[in-house]
Amino acid sequence: MELGGVTRSTRYLSAISAARGLHKSALDVVERPAPEETVTSSFGRFIQSVQPRHLSPTVLQRSKRMVLDSIGVGLLGSTTDVFELALQHCQHMYAPDDVSFVYGRQGVKLSPTLAAFVNGVAAHSMDFDDTWHPATHPSGAVLPALLAISDMFHNNSKPSGLDFLTAFNVGIEIQGWLMRFSNEAHNIPKRFHPPSVVGTMGSAAACARLLSLDRNQCSNALAIAASLAGAPMANAATQSKPLHIGNASRLGLEAALLASRGLEASPLVLDAVPGVAGFSAFYEDYAPNPIASLEEHEHSFLIETQDIAFKRFPAHLGMHWIADAATVVHKTLVGLKGGSVSPNLVQEILLRVPLSKYINRPFPETEHQARHSFQFNACTALLDGEVTVQSFHTEALQRPELLALLSRVRVEHPHDNPANFNIMYGEVEVTLVSGDVLRGRCDTFYGHWRNPLSQESLQKKFRSNAGAVLSNERVERLIEAVEGLDHLDDCKPLLAQLQ
Amino acid sequence: MVLFSIPFHEITESFGAAVSCLSTSHLTDEVIRRSKRMILDTLGVGLLGTSTPVFNTVLQCSQQALENSKVWGRPGLSLPPQYAAFVNGVAVHSMDFDDTWHPATHPSGAVLPAVLALAETLPVKPSGLELLLAFSVGIEVQGRLLRFSKEAHNIPKRFHPPAVVGVMGSAAATAKLLGLPAAQSIAALAIACSSAGAPMANAATQTKPLHMGNAARGGLEATQLALLGLEGNAQILDLESGFGAFYPDYVPHPLAEVTPTSRYRWVLEDQNIAQKRFPAHLGMHWVADAAIEARAKFLDKCPNADLSQIKKITLRVPTSRYVDCPLPVSEHQARHSFQFNCCTALLDGEVTVESFSKSQMIRSALKEMLLKVQLENPQDNHSSFEKMYCEIAVETTQGEMFTARCNTFYGHWRKPLSHVDLVRKFRANASTVLSAEVVEGIIYTVDHLDTNQDCSMLWSYMHFNKHMMDRNERRSSALA
Repeated sequence: MELGGVTRSTRYLSAISAARGLHKSALDVVERPAPEETVTSSFGRFIQSVQPRHLSPTVLQRSKRMVLDSIGVGLLGSTTDVFELALQHCQHMYAPDDVSFVYGRQGVKLSPTLAAFVNGVAAHSMDFDDTWHPATHPSGAVLPALLAISDMFHNNSKPSGLDFLTAFNVGIEIQGWLMRFSNEAHNIPKRFHPPSVVGTMGSAAACARLLSLDRNQCSNALAIAASLAGAPMANAATQSKPLHIGNASRLGLEAALLASRGLEASPLVLDAVPGVAGFSAFYEDYAPNPIASLEEHEHSFLIETQDIAFKRFPAHLGMHWIADAATVVHKTLVGLKGGSVSPNLVQEILLRVPLSKYINRPFPETEHQARHSFQFNACTALLDGEVTVQSFHTEALQRPELLALLSRVRVEHPHDNPANFNIMYGEVEVTLVSGDVLRGRCDTFYGHWRNPLSQESLQKKFRSNAGAVLSNERVERLIEAVEGLDHLDDCKPLLAQLQ
Repeated sequence: MVLFSIPFHEITESFGAAVSCLSTSHLTDEVIRRSKRMILDTLGVGLLGTSTPVFNTVLQCSQQALENSKVWGRPGLSLPPQYAAFVNGVAVHSMDFDDTWHPATHPSGAVLPAVLALAETLPVKPSGLELLLAFSVGIEVQGRLLRFSKEAHNIPKRFHPPAVVGVMGSAAATAKLLGLPAAQSIAALAIACSSAGAPMANAATQTKPLHMGNAARGGLEATQLALLGLEGNAQILDLESGFGAFYPDYVPHPLAEVTPTSRYRWVLEDQNIAQKRFPAHLGMHWVADAAIEARAKFLDKCPNADLSQIKKITLRVPTSRYVDCPLPVSEHQARHSFQFNCCTALLDGEVTVESFSKSQMIRSALKEMLLKVQLENPQDNHSSFEKMYCEIAVETTQGEMFTARCNTFYGHWRKPLSHVDLVRKFRANASTVLSAEVVEGIIYTVDHLDTNQDCSMLWSYMHFNKHMMDRNERRSSALA
């Protein structure tokens, strides 16, 4: 029952006047000239107008690496309990337009939104997916939704590899932009889990792009997604955490689909409107900026100047510093004594790490907790010289040698070690029974954006992950398909290996 | 005096325990009476809402082939229960006609659609009393959670309350209906918490009703996931980083222990609910009542007066940005506009469902009057549904001034709608979609909910639509 004859600008007018004018009389409002562009509409416009040609070689290269890693992580994740649970849930819930593939379940199909959900859960099920700065796991929220939509398109009209990559990058870019609107976002999160905040928005943006929505629809997709965003940190380190990414992917897709059907939401959702929170609801300090018009400015994607971290083992990013530091000590110990490390040699272990409650766990009981425990990862690396996928299996968690070491750990939080993935370090100091003190420090672990994984290392990780559920042939074809994604006329070769 | 420190996990545990231990024996007469009123009102509002564009949009979006739960007002159409809960929840809030509580939220719309959708799928259908129990648990949990924050007592600015507490209520209610043990009820709450929260900015837009639909859906899904064994943080309600994430001042308290023989003090007993007389944000009701009074005074003094003789209208209302809309363009904005509701009431002597129709909104007399409205925010007019008032001052071209003030509108919890008027509202709403027989059937069924063993006709009744043939019948008659 909307007023048919009223133009868009008038609608804008009252929205802006509500935002700006305190309670100006209606007369003032009518006389005000047309408003300049809002932050929200600039986002909508960007999503709609960005094209493949805006993607630079660096952006192409980095995003292909992210796609590869995310698929591998998702495939491995399809072997987890939480994934199985989410899948059963969705099969019961059930879908009639079951056209989209499910990682690691050949022949099983779900509706696009549910496929995005379960595949997103898979991607984050082991905390093995990529991490960015400011902190979030961007790819897991975006990729499953895009793949699910791609399955939706008719065989003759699948998106080209470049279209796919464009949509993917739009999803990543939007997340990066949104996180830069808040200083709070630069630190390890305490209140809302970032993938559930910006991930949902990124998924909505990416899907809107792939579906070629017009700019108003793109803005609405973002606004609808905002009402689906936000999950508290408390569920991190529990079995529910992977659902944050699954839901981000699914709900972003839903938002885009709803927008494509004409659903409208707040045109100012990304703007800072005093007295009425939009996206700002998720932050204490929110200062948004519009994305400059692509017609007037050269757009530089954030991934170009801020690379991403890929994990070498499935645990919270902070664990990688402490593991590398502990490995240094392990090597020294093994060098000194030969053979393996015996807990009997160790009197005390001191960890110098940033202050962050949800990753400070002296005696983790579940694999989820272990992935979020400085102590666990340090001790594992100290014992084994590395942390791997197997380090989080039940038997490994309960090893007596590990428990012995865990009981000797002390944690310190130096002032110069802030909870920030760009600045933090990890230090391990082991005092031996003999009195010797061995130290290891890591400022930048291998895989961090300052020291990125080589292409060989990344592919090795992918082979190991994907190989857990796919044949070698499919694994290699996937590597090839992603490597050549920007040259594919349509993305069928990519999708075919995942069906 | 010895100070006890509450053990770290006690609050969440107490919620889980309460949700699983409360039984029909704890329902008091007053609670039963009030909740039946809420259920009746919500059903009527939902039926009316099935005629809106937003409802049609979400329905199209959710349509799936394997169906289990009935969609209201769509004979022959069913959806998996979460999606039925979603679309029906959207229907309930689609016109902002549903109930409002203090602290502020719309509690019933998040709970009832989920409970009914779930009940329909159970192999053994719950009795009416069991339905009422689940419903009450869902309301109770919302009321308790809202009391953990002072900020929650004011008209919201950051997160839309139904999206915060509503999903928790839906999780609690559905967990209760399934008879989940305490630990699983806690898991349902924890999982639901990760679906909570939507920013206020989408209020006054077409997306607002989805907050309700998603609350209903999310809570039900959370319970289903909990049933399958999914776990979340077992201290979700204790932690600042848990449910506390949604409030700057979060001070939770454990619920009192519930034993089979103890008396339980429900929030609903101490704090009644407001049911709306017309489909707009609660704040509009004070404005309408004040304007109607001022209009009566004006016409009393000058019986043949022309309302265009009004020169200036001053409204003294609390500060609330999202309902300050001088020139609303969409129906959603109109439902969230002090100015619009004031002028409609002045022109027509009432605000009704029709007031928000296209033809009524574009009246030139209304538009002219809107230009004459000025808002003021007196310091003593608090942004709280418990404390606010509305004062209106109408100045005519002849220099006369007519003022009126409304402290408590009719329908507010301090002055609840009479049973007759509540049923009248239900009839008016429901009969836009249902035949008189079916309307009376629902009234009867809800009225006898606590004594009825089998209430499955409730969702069957909701499944009719006098304007539509059953989809399945249509198919077979087309083949004939």
